[in-house]
Amino acid sequence: MSLLQDAKNWVRSRSIHVAYVDVGSCNGCDIEILACLAPRYDIEQYGIYVHNNPREADILLVVGAMTPPWVERLPALWAKIPAPKAAIAIGNCPVSGCVYNRRETYILGPVAKYIPIAAEVPGCPPRPTEILSAVLAVAPTVFRDYEVNRS
Amino acid sequence: MAIYQEKDLRELKYHILTSARHDRAVRDLAGMLGMGVQPFRRILIERLDMQYLENLAGRYEQWEARGDREDPLDRALGRELFTSYLPMVEPSGMEQIRAEARASVEAGTPPSEAAARARGRLAEVLRP
Amino acid sequence: MKRVVDVSIPLGPVHPCWKEPARVKCETRGEKVLSAEVELGYMKKGIERIMRGRPWQEVMFLAERVCGICSVIHNMVFIEGMEAVSGITVPDRAAYLRVVMNELDRIQSHLLANFSYCYTIEHETLAMYLLNTRERAMDCMERIAGVRVNKAYMIPGGVRFDLRDTDRALLLADLAHLEDSVHRYGRMFDTGPLIATRSKGVGILMQEQARIARAVGPTARASGIAEDVRLTHPTYRKLAFTPIVRTEGDNHARIMLRFDEIFQSLGLIRQCLHDLPAGPIRGGGTCGAGETVSRGEAPRGELSYFIRSDEYGRILDIAIRTPSIPNIDACTHHMLPGVTSLADVTSVFVSADPCIACNER
Repeated sequence: MSLLQDAKNWVRSRSIHVAYVDVGSCNGCDIEILACLAPRYDIEQYGIYVHNNPREADILLVVGAMTPPWVERLPALWAKIPAPKAAIAIGNCPVSGCVYNRRETYILGPVAKYIPIAAEVPGCPPRPTEILSAVLAVAPTVFRDYEVNRS
Repeated sequence: MAIYQEKDLRELKYHILTSARHDRAVRDLAGMLGMGVQPFRRILIERLDMQYLENLAGRYEQWEARGDREDPLDRALGRELFTSYLPMVEPSGMEQIRAEARASVEAGTPPSEAAARARGRLAEVLRP
Repeated sequence: MKRVVDVSIPLGPVHPCWKEPARVKCETRGEKVLSAEVELGYMKKGIERIMRGRPWQEVMFLAERVCGICSVIHNMVFIEGMEAVSGITVPDRAAYLRVVMNELDRIQSHLLANFSYCYTIEHETLAMYLLNTRERAMDCMERIAGVRVNKAYMIPGGVRFDLRDTDRALLLADLAHLEDSVHRYGRMFDTGPLIATRSKGVGILMQEQARIARAVGPTARASGIAEDVRLTHPTYRKLAFTPIVRTEGDNHARIMLRFDEIFQSLGLIRQCLHDLPAGPIRGGGTCGAGETVSRGEAPRGELSYFIRSDEYGRILDIAIRTPSIPNIDACTHHMLPGVTSLADVTSVFVSADPCIACNER
């Protein structure tokens, strides 16, 4: 284990930049992500910073049931995020389509068909604390020793 | 770099117009202009953006309630409807059609016939 | 209509200021916006299509999921529509509890809208205060209904949970806290000199334009249109409700109007709790056939459901008109043209409290 890798591990453990993308939700999950910003949950004390800028993000939170216009845009957005990166599906919609996955619908889920999903947080919508703990649980497993594991 | 933003939106716009309330408004308007429903949908899709289409029924109902109240010819022609409520025709073009209709009424044509002819002219202007 | 312009600037679909995807193309000359065009479709799930042919028990949950921010009013309007077609009556206590829940939902939605606006004009301190205050309103709802969002609190013939005495005391304490905080933050917003520079006289919606686009809710009431569906609702009429109207029609007026409406909602809840009659919270009945248009005042404005059902309570045809449709229309086609700086485009857009999920369904 090199010193450089140790330094990277240390930095990455306290600095997680998050972007979220809404691919056709009802807004419930979005707003629960926003609620994480509130001083009550205080997402920034864990070093998580919600940016909403894919080019700076480490973790992408995907919300929503995958509507047709996102089919080519979501992989393009995923490609813009620099490695190491991970996507977390928030809510039932990206996992199964939730109530929208019925006859006559327009959605083309699940999201996992289009980009690799590292973790799923079910719930309609999940509580802010659940979203927060999912981000905190996924980040170390993906980012720790990333360069070593890759080679 | 692949261009993935400027896409053909016609299918998505068509989905908007198939909702129950929108469908009623589209049928009313197409009947008013003496056009088929499908050609009129195509005109709407080409001339208006998606938010106008979403609000089509609302704007149409608002015009029914309070637009073009003063003049029966304007009402028959939908002067405000097609220039400010649903801006599909340039105001100058609409003024020209209106002036022609007015002139023909003064020349002795019955108002209903003049209005019908003016609506035909409007339909021609709208057709791409 | 296309004009000759310098640049066409697209904003979105993924934009740091916007919570939801939409694409607004601004045609500009210099920094002045000449016209704006909206591209949607990113949230079109086809809810109306899914609803057709399904029993009301399923449609009830789908109706709530049209919008996750104002889910209570979607639930309420749909259920009141089903009650109207089937002749089901609601016990008095349940009718009052519905108003309590609806007004709590309005408080959290208005706080969220004002949070978004403050966040967009980069006043993060005030934004965070407001977001934290909103959690208090969410707590109140969670205590009554058991969940934060998508509560399915109302059912045909009544509500699902009663208000216990302990909850009532806690609710009153929370209302006092909310009133204090909102009073303080509202004054901060009203008197902040830099906030005024970014908000006063920006994004003006004239009354005539608001009427043409059929704007509803706070967006219309900030432009001097005294329309509110609560005026015709039987329970609200018992509470002697009158709408608040402002005449400036700019960003500042819209945000301040929301602050004022929060106080009004707090008053309505207090009055409901004071008048709350004893008795059952659920009546009986069977959902049947009929056709109706059910209307209600969502936090963003008038929401209406056109419902046609068969004798088994199945939904044959449904059309939902959400308040965001005319409001986003008024915003992009009447407020944005004439905005003198591109930095104001996002704040003007957010000040109309756009909800794309409602807009597209």
